[in-house]
Amino acid sequence: MTLPALPIETDRLELRLFERADLEAVMAYHALPEVQRYLDWKARDRVEVKAALEGMRRQTRLTRPGDTFTLAVVRKSDDALIGHVSLHWHDATAAQAELRFVLNPVHRRQGYAAEAVKRMLTFGFAEFGFHRIFARCDAKNQASARLLKGIGMRLEAHYREHALFNGEWDEELHFAVLDREWQRSRKVQEFTAHRVA
Amino acid sequence: MLETGSIMRPSPELPIETERLILRPFTRGDVDAVFAYRQREDVARFLFDGPMTRETCAEAVQTRVRQISLADEDDRITLAVERRDGGELIGEVTTIWRSVADRQGEVGYIFNPDFQHKGYATEAVRALISMSFAELDLHRIYARCDTRNVASFQLMERLGMRREAHFREHKLIKGAWDDQYIYAILQSEWVAA
Repeated sequence: MTLPALPIETDRLELRLFERADLEAVMAYHALPEVQRYLDWKARDRVEVKAALEGMRRQTRLTRPGDTFTLAVVRKSDDALIGHVSLHWHDATAAQAELRFVLNPVHRRQGYAAEAVKRMLTFGFAEFGFHRIFARCDAKNQASARLLKGIGMRLEAHYREHALFNGEWDEELHFAVLDREWQRSRKVQEFTAHRVA
Repeated sequence: MLETGSIMRPSPELPIETERLILRPFTRGDVDAVFAYRQREDVARFLFDGPMTRETCAEAVQTRVRQISLADEDDRITLAVERRDGGELIGEVTTIWRSVADRQGEVGYIFNPDFQHKGYATEAVRALISMSFAELDLHRIYARCDTRNVASFQLMERLGMRREAHFREHKLIKGAWDDQYIYAILQSEWVAA
């Protein structure tokens, strides 16, 4: 897999690689307990968040299974870094990836996460040639579940009490979309957007 | 309740008897009976492995002989299913200890099609799940199957398991896209039913 051309854009957002100067913006959301649970790097203070940022700065390519590709989500209007999206290459032969996204809670409810996630899915299928991309979320996290369903991912799994998390039984949803399904739904979206314009 | 740090080595009391069946440890003498169905193309169709040669089958049986208790994650208890009338070995059932900390288990089953449509598989898997909840104290048990394996998922539905997942083209198995169902049941649901 080759190195993709970056940054990539949407109407309101730019998705780009992380930079050292992003520390303050990442500090603003990365250490929040509600966000922490879903992140690879556990970070509670500035030193740990800095280490997490260093980690994400190295996630610039998908060359072998197990690699993660992470992009910062930046609002074009004021250059504010509001979260990140990533793709994790899961499977050596079946071209499977997991999508993850984190948005600073201050910037929620404006459709930014959906905008970034949709762009990342298109990117993942087109640039990396994935066959299927899936995303997981806690069953209690209704906002994420609505988002994933809303952009056209299918609910594939609803696990009940399949694992303990901090002493409590976990309930988890899996959403997924295949490359051909995404191509189809994108055509519908583009057609609708064109009609409205 | 076991104390933290104690070594848990669940080893259920065997054999398990049901109305028409005995679930017992494998013995070396079972190779021919197992080979009778594991060599079949129709049996292997929805399994991860292809049809077995007699040699692989003998090795598989040899492995199963020791699978009668659990010590570590991914250990399994595998039992031969025998008819009480006639004594034929008609298939095999297994419980895999998928997570020790989260008390999760997976069950699997393979039966000789010559003995189909008599409810033997359902009877055997029901007994296996009951034993797994009662003696291994699992919290949740799941089973997986190819979505085209109607007999397999109907069995799970008969046992009251819920379909928790339908994965589409999530893996390549034997060179083809795999569509898979996962069914599951909690100990609380099993006891209540």
